[in-house]
Amino acid sequence: MTDNIYQPDLMEVVQVHQQTADVKSVRIRFCDETRANDFSFRVGQFGIFSAFGAGESPFNLCSSSNWRDFIEFCFRRTGRVTEALWNMDEGDIIGFRGPYGNAYPMDKWRGKDLIFIGGGIAMPPIRCAIWYALENREKFGQITIVYGARKVGDLVFRNELDRWAEYDGVRVVSCVDPGGETPDWRGEVGFVPAVVERAGISATNAAALVIGPPIMIQFTLPVLSKLGLSDSDIYTSLENRMKCGVGKCGRCNCGPAYVCKDGPVFTLEQIKALPKDL
Amino acid sequence: MIATLRETCRQLLSDGKVDVVIGYGHDAAADGAEDAPVYPVFITKPEDAGRLVWNDRCHANLAVYLKHEEIRSLGRAAIIVKGCDQRSLVVLEKESQLDRSKIYVIGIACDGLDRPKCRTCDVHEPRGADVIIGHKAAGTGYPCAGGVPSANGTQGLPDTLPDDRYAELRAFLARPSAERLAYWRQELARCVKCYACRQVCPMCYCRRCIVDKNRPQIISTSATLKGNFAWHITRAFHLAGRCVGCEECSRACPMGIDLRLLNLSVAQAAEENFAFRAGDDPAAEPVIGSYAIQDKEDFIR
Amino acid sequence: MSESLSIAALGKLVDCWIAEGRHVTGPRRINGRLLYARLDSAADLDLTEDERPRNSIKQVLFPRHEELYGYKLGHKRIELTESETPIAEQIVVAARPCDAALGPILDHVFNWDYKDTQYNRRRELTTIVTLACRHHDAHCFCTSVGSAPDDPRGSDVMLHAMDEGILEVCCLTEKGSRLFAGRCDNLPSPSSGRGAGGEGISGDIANQPVLPLTPAISHRENGTAPPRRFDLDKVQEFLAQGFEDSRWPDLARRCLGCGACAYTCPTCHCFDIVDEGAGKEGVRARNWDACQFVPFTLHASGHNPRSRQNQRQRQRIYHKFRIYPEKFGPLLCTGCGNCTRNCPVGLGVAPVLAEIARNTP
Repeated sequence: MTDNIYQPDLMEVVQVHQQTADVKSVRIRFCDETRANDFSFRVGQFGIFSAFGAGESPFNLCSSSNWRDFIEFCFRRTGRVTEALWNMDEGDIIGFRGPYGNAYPMDKWRGKDLIFIGGGIAMPPIRCAIWYALENREKFGQITIVYGARKVGDLVFRNELDRWAEYDGVRVVSCVDPGGETPDWRGEVGFVPAVVERAGISATNAAALVIGPPIMIQFTLPVLSKLGLSDSDIYTSLENRMKCGVGKCGRCNCGPAYVCKDGPVFTLEQIKALPKDL
Repeated sequence: MIATLRETCRQLLSDGKVDVVIGYGHDAAADGAEDAPVYPVFITKPEDAGRLVWNDRCHANLAVYLKHEEIRSLGRAAIIVKGCDQRSLVVLEKESQLDRSKIYVIGIACDGLDRPKCRTCDVHEPRGADVIIGHKAAGTGYPCAGGVPSANGTQGLPDTLPDDRYAELRAFLARPSAERLAYWRQELARCVKCYACRQVCPMCYCRRCIVDKNRPQIISTSATLKGNFAWHITRAFHLAGRCVGCEECSRACPMGIDLRLLNLSVAQAAEENFAFRAGDDPAAEPVIGSYAIQDKEDFIR
Repeated sequence: MSESLSIAALGKLVDCWIAEGRHVTGPRRINGRLLYARLDSAADLDLTEDERPRNSIKQVLFPRHEELYGYKLGHKRIELTESETPIAEQIVVAARPCDAALGPILDHVFNWDYKDTQYNRRRELTTIVTLACRHHDAHCFCTSVGSAPDDPRGSDVMLHAMDEGILEVCCLTEKGSRLFAGRCDNLPSPSSGRGAGGEGISGDIANQPVLPLTPAISHRENGTAPPRRFDLDKVQEFLAQGFEDSRWPDLARRCLGCGACAYTCPTCHCFDIVDEGAGKEGVRARNWDACQFVPFTLHASGHNPRSRQNQRQRQRIYHKFRIYPEKFGPLLCTGCGNCTRNCPVGLGVAPVLAEIARNTP
């Protein structure tokens, strides 16, 4: 194991799953068995993934921290690195550095009702928290999941939504924007903030994790405040342009925070204290 | 002369003819101090026109600001140009980057700022200006074509190209190519890829520079000899027939690399092969953007 | 008791170091410009005192291009290889105090939880011999940021130029002492001395000294220290609540968006990581980068949180004067003035902060 903090571990691709027209989720495992045994992470953290020859990119670790056979990440095909990752197959080798950043405060959330709200490509960073919570079901109260996308074809990890609903005390509400439904769509139709509002969620002893496009967040937050959630009970995971992931290259610096070190998990209270530089 | 400059600009602003004057100035606190630093200023209020100055430290080519969104957002602009800077306006107009009718050009007569380009300057009084501050009286011996553009817009080049403009460059280019390569290897090794040369150049107005594109990454962003050669040679080629010789690239380089030798050599090639000097004739078609039957083809072998 | 050395003897020492295989960097005149560069011999060393090198010594600890590791691509196989560039023992001679201070300042970020081994290795292998300043120019502002022309931060040895070609040698660390051990002439100090009350900081100090950062009395009285360009307290006061201040667009309007300030600054350290190579082999390297460039914060989605130049300028000021000190302690600025010295349009830290301080009641 090198002491070069920028040198990644080599990982073998074990499974690629195409989630939408331009989103794939990839499962990888350590080429070096001993590293696999030593490795652990907490949900909420991210890694820097390499496509050698193209570059590196940060993605949230979207698998549960309890799963030992692989780690998983999910990406949209948008740029040079994701284009290279898009072309990966089983057996291909990529690089991984991590886990970096802070994690969802599962200890703080113990005993609380959990409200997970996501939009579009933002499901992966929520998915890991959902699985973790389901695998430690007794530690948490009611779980409500509201997940929406522009259209049915944009929903990521759609097959898992139904499985989650099978758990005790778990309610899953999936929605698509008006016009995005298919003839056989059985979920809701509407924008996420409106769906949250009419979902009748109780928030007396709750924590919420809200991740999605800025506009979704902008309109969802007042709904949550109306429900009685305070800014310190609402969490999100920030996405920023990153390079090193270890707080040195300066790219992800926003106000007093380095998203890669002080985040990516922040409470709304912390976000409000950051300058409008995101 | 400075009083005239300030009054002209004050008038333009208070009459509402322009919203901003791009010129050289002191900061507000300098209070007219002789040795106060001079830098580009953007005067939007008539009462601030007193900040404008003209002295031997007014080096910057202000034409570069006409492409900045932060300046365009201020409204209709008046811009102060020296003769050399004015050439940039001609090129920009020919390349459809600015609408000449929408800017007010204040030419300022300049007897040199002690830079290499000043030694062979033929535009002490800028051409193509809406007004010239500081006309020189006849008989001062300036070898220039004169100030206000003629009615039919055909100023054209002087009758004979002042061939001593490229004397220094010619001497440099006469050295054996191995020697020149060694020179550039030594010089470009110092480049840190700060892109000051690009940012200061009015001709570099691509919204996304080729070096900032990564699909594919055609030019290495690394400040290695290979990356530096790739950058500077590419930029020189992109300036073919467009470089007006304002020499800002050399002035801006923090590492003291004499970039004008590279960029001017391409300008010289355009002049010698196509009788075209960028920025001289507003009516002339850009050499890279046009084709004439008489164009030489003897380089095609 | 301080030791001394003639300039000629220093030259012989430099040649010695070079002959011993060390990489020696110092101020060198290139095309008429004073720049820190590798010295091929002592004859290259330019000890002009009334000029500040236009670049910084940052390159020695944090190169502008540094290979992190190599990679070889195979079918379903990747091989990673160590970087081939060995790090040699380095000496910087006649650095200015505003350059040397970069070490203690950057140590924080490069060791923040994750230890940057390349940086640390260079730090260990580099000895910095500073030449205290007896002059300043219109751009220097060390005294405005709590530093001084003889600030010892980061120096292993500090040389004080006295008249008659004599240098007073003050070894501040063990590393520095080792370099000069037994090499000094111990010549008698010239009658002019170093200025009223100027006591040498001598003696072996194993670790970097942490001295209060007030301008040395001797220099203040001699007038060699630059005048206060702005009131740092007023600046900090403004920065604490001025992020959305409407003046930022005007403050930064002439900024061209190049990286001349960042790349000649001793403490700017932002970098990019790139893969370079063709075909089956390549290198992952880090290159200097700057928050002043448009693509610095450009997301793959096309969203750019800092799309305007004034936002990028504001970030630079905030990072140096508020964010870094809040996180790590020291300002991310030593007052060297290179930002303004190299800015084609005279911007840089001091003019912006002077304007801010002037307008903050």
